[in-house]
Amino acid sequence: MKFQLTDEQRALQDAVRSYLRDKFGPQQIREVYDNPDTDGVPASLWKALGEQGWLAVLVPEAHDGMGLGLLDAAVIARTLGAGTVPSPWLGTILVGEAVRLAGSDEQKKAVLPRLAAGETKGAAALLPTGSLTGVPATTTNGTLTGNLGLVEYAGVADTLVVAAQDGLYLVDPADATITPHASLDRTVRLATVVLDGAPGERLENSSPGVLEEVLDRAAILAANDLVGVARKALSDTVEYDKTRVQFGKPVGSFQAIKHHLADLHLGITMAEHAATYAAHAFDVDAADKHLAASIAKTKAGDVASEATGAMIQYHGGIGYTWEHDSHFYLKRAKRLEYQYGDASQHRERIARLMLDSA
Amino acid sequence: MDLRFSKEDEDFRSEFQAWLAINLPQEMRAPEFWRGKSDDEQFQIRRDWEAGKAEAGYCGIQWPTEYGGRGGTPTMKAIYDEELAKANAPRSVNPLGLAFLGPTVMAIGTDEQKRDIIKPLLHTETIWCQGFSEPGAGSDLAALQMKADQRGDDYILNGQKIWTTNAMHGDKIFTLARTSPSEGSRHAGISMLLVDMHQPGVEARPLKQITGESEFGEVFFTDALCPTAEVLGGEGNGWQTAMLLLSFERGSSAIGQYTEFRHQWDLVANLAQQLERDGQKAAKDPVLRQKLAASLVDLECLKYHSWHILTQTSQGKDLGAEASMTKMMWSETFRKVSDTYEAVLGTAFQVPDPQPGLSLEELTTMALWSRSCTIWGGSQQVQRSIVAERVLGLPR
Ligand SMILES: Cc1cc2nc3c(=O)[nH]c(=O)nc-3n(C[C@H](O)[C@H](O)[C@H](O)COP(=O)(O)OP(=O)(O)OC[C@H]3O[C@@H](n4cnc5c(N)ncnc54)[C@H](O)[C@@H]3O)c2cc1C
Repeated sequence: MKFQLTDEQRALQDAVRSYLRDKFGPQQIREVYDNPDTDGVPASLWKALGEQGWLAVLVPEAHDGMGLGLLDAAVIARTLGAGTVPSPWLGTILVGEAVRLAGSDEQKKAVLPRLAAGETKGAAALLPTGSLTGVPATTTNGTLTGNLGLVEYAGVADTLVVAAQDGLYLVDPADATITPHASLDRTVRLATVVLDGAPGERLENSSPGVLEEVLDRAAILAANDLVGVARKALSDTVEYDKTRVQFGKPVGSFQAIKHHLADLHLGITMAEHAATYAAHAFDVDAADKHLAASIAKTKAGDVASEATGAMIQYHGGIGYTWEHDSHFYLKRAKRLEYQYGDASQHRERIARLMLDSA
Repeated sequence: MDLRFSKEDEDFRSEFQAWLAINLPQEMRAPEFWRGKSDDEQFQIRRDWEAGKAEAGYCGIQWPTEYGGRGGTPTMKAIYDEELAKANAPRSVNPLGLAFLGPTVMAIGTDEQKRDIIKPLLHTETIWCQGFSEPGAGSDLAALQMKADQRGDDYILNGQKIWTTNAMHGDKIFTLARTSPSEGSRHAGISMLLVDMHQPGVEARPLKQITGESEFGEVFFTDALCPTAEVLGGEGNGWQTAMLLLSFERGSSAIGQYTEFRHQWDLVANLAQQLERDGQKAAKDPVLRQKLAASLVDLECLKYHSWHILTQTSQGKDLGAEASMTKMMWSETFRKVSDTYEAVLGTAFQVPDPQPGLSLEELTTMALWSRSCTIWGGSQQVQRSIVAERVLGLPR
């Protein structure tokens, strides 16, 4: 019985952390934040993600990837979350996962090596806006039509993966109408994507089961990003409240604050366990993997929302300023909290899994 | 990451399961068995069953063999707790002795104390009470007032303890008293005494709990005697001894609690599928579905957490103040499952038998009992302060 990361996974975590500390810290994030008209993918960052293998984790070795598991990807997602790092990392990973799980050998050969190397970027449109069920596009005679809503990094993507009623499709962004759109969380770039009879390449082994699997994997990676955000929001708040003095004492000595922070620490610890277990459950194909995915997304969304709110509240006025990092965390949490199903939608899914099957 | 147990651990599980299959009669696993039996009768049945279990070697799982234990690993203890919960086995009659006193005696007791205390404790020949709380000293344990004045080879005890679990069944009590004036520090001058409860100077009176049961009571000491040899950890070291004693709960993985509460959740989910609400099954009500799912989320997190604890303790790590998080998590999750139960029942929560053939006495008792678990053993508020100060490092 070992419920903990392996030494290799810890080394991976350290590698991502030290890269961010040395090369892509708050100052670089702020540049992305304050220049919303840029593409939101700093070249040096993207190059590093590719070179370090952080885009190749889940790609099989046969296709020039690292052939690691979802837990390894989760370790990266969590660390990127803690650093509020921009980039189409998740979209690129998800295109890879769709192709790995649903693609034919030819499709894998054509797509995966380039994604793994960071030569191409991906974006994913797997659900109708705001839903955890249904698909955003419909197919007729092999072409796709649908308003895919807001898609992260669609503007820079080389490949879109789109869910339609009869499977997953790869779509060339050149065949879609893509319109950039402002985003509250500026650690991401958004665009609306409309398909109107766009040609698409069906991933040959698509099935509803594969779509569910890709969605669960997306939810788990989002959950890991969220626990990274939540943990960092809490630890920064604890540090600030240890030193900020009012009424002659550090404000962190007041029970109203410290008890809430203790509760948050407990909640975040549980969310970390859940986000870890869910990824592992997919790596070993555990019987409760779908349940685990929903548990992770629910718990992570709830605690990240609360922790980032607490971060602003327990910093006082400074936490409400643009100059302070609090809003990076809040806005990132708010984006991911609702993505790939929010806490209520996943609780409803848990209820379906546990109460309706009998 | 590897969530499988070793072959030895799984062998132990099978062996214990096989023993339980034969030695825990089916009727004893059903709630009806206990209905209509008095507190005393129930206690005696549990005591006898636990003695038989000890006789068969299923006791003191992690305790060294030289003390009559099994010399097992933290994982074996977790498996043991899990299997007992799965089998709906009777609760231990000696929870405080086993969790606290035994390990403390093994660590700092005299040879005589080790010999006289441990085996009878494991075999339920002696039921031990914990006499810490007093009317004026609950969370603030150092406010305790009970006096123990030395006269010859005895201490003479005067004072009162309260909320004492098993007060009416106790044979002996490990208790804290002031053996000398506290010079300066409130923590000074305290000793931990091991007192015989079967003597004229000790009177136990039951207190009725919100469940109607009297599992705890008051213990009055009026010129009660305790031989001076019956100090644990040395005279005047009571505070340190108490802190050591309380630290022994830290290793608990909470897998037993998870198993028990998960079983309750399954029963509640089942009830939701039977009971009607607004013309449909309660399990179709969108708000109840959210509640049921939310409590399951926390339950499963408790399970993951118990794996985490087990991983840490198996590697020999001391959890320190982190252990407070385990207590907070299981007691809060228990509350949440109980809240869900109450919400699923709605108006039916008021009656023990809302439908013919459906008796909910035990579940309702558990729901009420869950309210005590955020009070005893360090209240939720006290645990929060511990986590904030000692885990997060926030100032006092
Ligand atoms: C079922 C049950 C079994 C028990 N069994 C035993 C036993 O066997 N032996 C034994 O010695 N005791 C036992 N106890 C007693 C238990 O340990 C005490 O009830 C507990 O320590 C709380 O003390 P109190 O009841 O005096 O409450 P108080 O300490 O008076 O607390 C009242 C409220 O104030 C809060 N509070 C107290 N201090 C602080 C603080 N510093 N900051 C914020 N909030 C605070 C508490 O959390 C609580 O909500 C048992 C209690 C129960 C309910």
